[in-house]
Amino acid sequence: MSARSRAARRLRPETVVPVLSFAVVLAAFLLTPVYHDHTLSDFDVFNTLQGFASLGLIALALGLTIIAGEFDVSVLGMQALGGVLAVKAGASSGVLGILAATAGCAFLGALQGGAIARLRIQSMPVTIGTYIALLGLTNVVAGNETLTFSNTDASIWINQTVASFFSPRSLIALAVFALVMLVCGATRIGPELRALGGDRRASRVVGIPVDRRLTALFGVSGALAGLAGAMLAYSNASASLNPGLQPLVLAAAAAVLGGLSLRGGRGAIWGLLLGALAVSLLEQVFTITALPTSSAQIVFGSLLLVVVVVDAPDLRSSLARLQARRTSMRQISPQVKPKAQRS
Amino acid sequence: VRVAIEQRFGPLDEWRSLRGLFTGLAALGLVVLVVLALTTDRFLSVENIKAILSSASIVGIMALGLTFITLIGSLVSLAIAATAVMGAMVFLAELHLGLVPALAISMAAGAVVTALQGLIIGAWGANPVILTIGAGFLLSGITTKASNGVIVQPTGGGWSTLNSTPLGVPVGVYVMVALALLFQFVLKRTVLGRRITLIGENRDAARAAGMRIPRLTAIAFAVAGASFALGGAFLGAFNKGASAQLEGTSTFDVIAAVLVGGTLISGGRGSALRTLAGAIVIATISDLLLLRGFDTGAQILLKGVLVVVVVLATWVASRREGAA
Repeated sequence: MSARSRAARRLRPETVVPVLSFAVVLAAFLLTPVYHDHTLSDFDVFNTLQGFASLGLIALALGLTIIAGEFDVSVLGMQALGGVLAVKAGASSGVLGILAATAGCAFLGALQGGAIARLRIQSMPVTIGTYIALLGLTNVVAGNETLTFSNTDASIWINQTVASFFSPRSLIALAVFALVMLVCGATRIGPELRALGGDRRASRVVGIPVDRRLTALFGVSGALAGLAGAMLAYSNASASLNPGLQPLVLAAAAAVLGGLSLRGGRGAIWGLLLGALAVSLLEQVFTITALPTSSAQIVFGSLLLVVVVVDAPDLRSSLARLQARRTSMRQISPQVKPKAQRS
Repeated sequence: VRVAIEQRFGPLDEWRSLRGLFTGLAALGLVVLVVLALTTDRFLSVENIKAILSSASIVGIMALGLTFITLIGSLVSLAIAATAVMGAMVFLAELHLGLVPALAISMAAGAVVTALQGLIIGAWGANPVILTIGAGFLLSGITTKASNGVIVQPTGGGWSTLNSTPLGVPVGVYVMVALALLFQFVLKRTVLGRRITLIGENRDAARAAGMRIPRLTAIAFAVAGASFALGGAFLGAFNKGASAQLEGTSTFDVIAAVLVGGTLISGGRGSALRTLAGAIVIATISDLLLLRGFDTGAQILLKGVLVVVVVLATWVASRREGAA
């Protein structure tokens, strides 16, 4: 590999976008004392990571499906159901509640993944349907009212401060990220996911067990969202029945800032991690500056609009055409160095 | 031929059995529905049928508009509720100009805001679901700011006209039926409707045929946006006020109505009358469950299951047709 192609590789969007967006938001975070009367403390980092514990897991649940060329809207419903299941099953044992939420959502996720894979149908409409059904199921399980979590020991344990910045909750989220990163990096699963998103038919032809992978993928997505909901319910000591659209908006923003392409086939787990951390930091900046909810909505809404336009396939192709025209004009002119022709 | 088809779509027998499964499910569902309907007290009364139609009307009006977005192949909008709330606020705030001008301004605002999204989606192929979530979020933020977070009150008396019940049926029901007939005519009998359907069915072919996809997508979204705002105006009139709380679950109710009607989610196949049927079916089932004493959770659960089953069944049916 020549130095040039290595440099080009380093400058690919899935590398540049997460690093750049994380750096920009980190700068905004570190500069809060400058533009707002506030001294940064350990608690700001702690609180950022608490936010990340929910947002990061939802972003991972959604992001894995985006890399594989799918889009799992049902993570919202899984989060709600996970919270209710955990509160119901975790009254005596906190661990049991988390297990019940994760396993239950994993099962339902695998079920819908199996249907999506077998019927070869777009996942978005199916998961919109399952999202509605899951909200209903959540209401039925909870008996139509917000549940309070009686197991205060578990609530206190999961929120306690560890090494000033962390809590068991954020450490679990980070550990899950590390695990997924390891599995995707060390096995063929990572490249296979990208292959599924890049070219589904070619993936089948080269022998990737597409149906099994998709079933597992939606199972994992459900499990992650269920886990996020369970830990959030423990942390708040109550399970809300409808998380609204906000978690999906933040997770989608994290995915795109993490260098994933909404068309699938592109992105890495470490990028997703940086994207989720960037959005969590941004939320903390909003908390510090006491930005009204409506302003935060405007910021996140605009952010999503900008990234989705930048990610739009035809915008890219029209820009590429423009660039190609410019490059070819430069090649005619005498200033061109022959170096560009080497590889 | 069979071998070639099976290579592409999987074993034909499997598709047949799946189709059989869905036909069976649909038949079973219908039988259960009819039996429940006949055995439920007060269900088959004129009053109850009016109640079903009136509860279908607001969702139905918005769903009829969404049909254009789904048909042209842009899936769905997730900004429906936000656009409806904006429509409600604009309508109530402009009522001092009179009923018709206020409605016109509200629908125009919905059309413009939504058409812009359609233009971006049509021109650059932006992901419609993410784009509309972002737009909806932005819109909610702006309307909350513009209204200072307080409930927008009607500035004139015209709102009560939208709540009136000529011949015992709410105005919304007349509007829904009229809109369904109008949209059905536009989609099936006009060049515009046929173009919208073709783009949804085969975007590349439509492009090759020289259709202006960005412009037509913007028009489809404009129709949808105007319908969302119109539905919002009814919502605002019904509540005699508008705030962000009005959003509720309307986005997903509207999507459910379109999908349960059997409009193909990938576009190119579907109709306004199907959507009308979808809205009425959902309202009927909710009404039945309500009369039978089931809670909201069960209603939402059944609605979601219905959406999943119909989406899968419509898909299987369309694939089977493609394979035959």
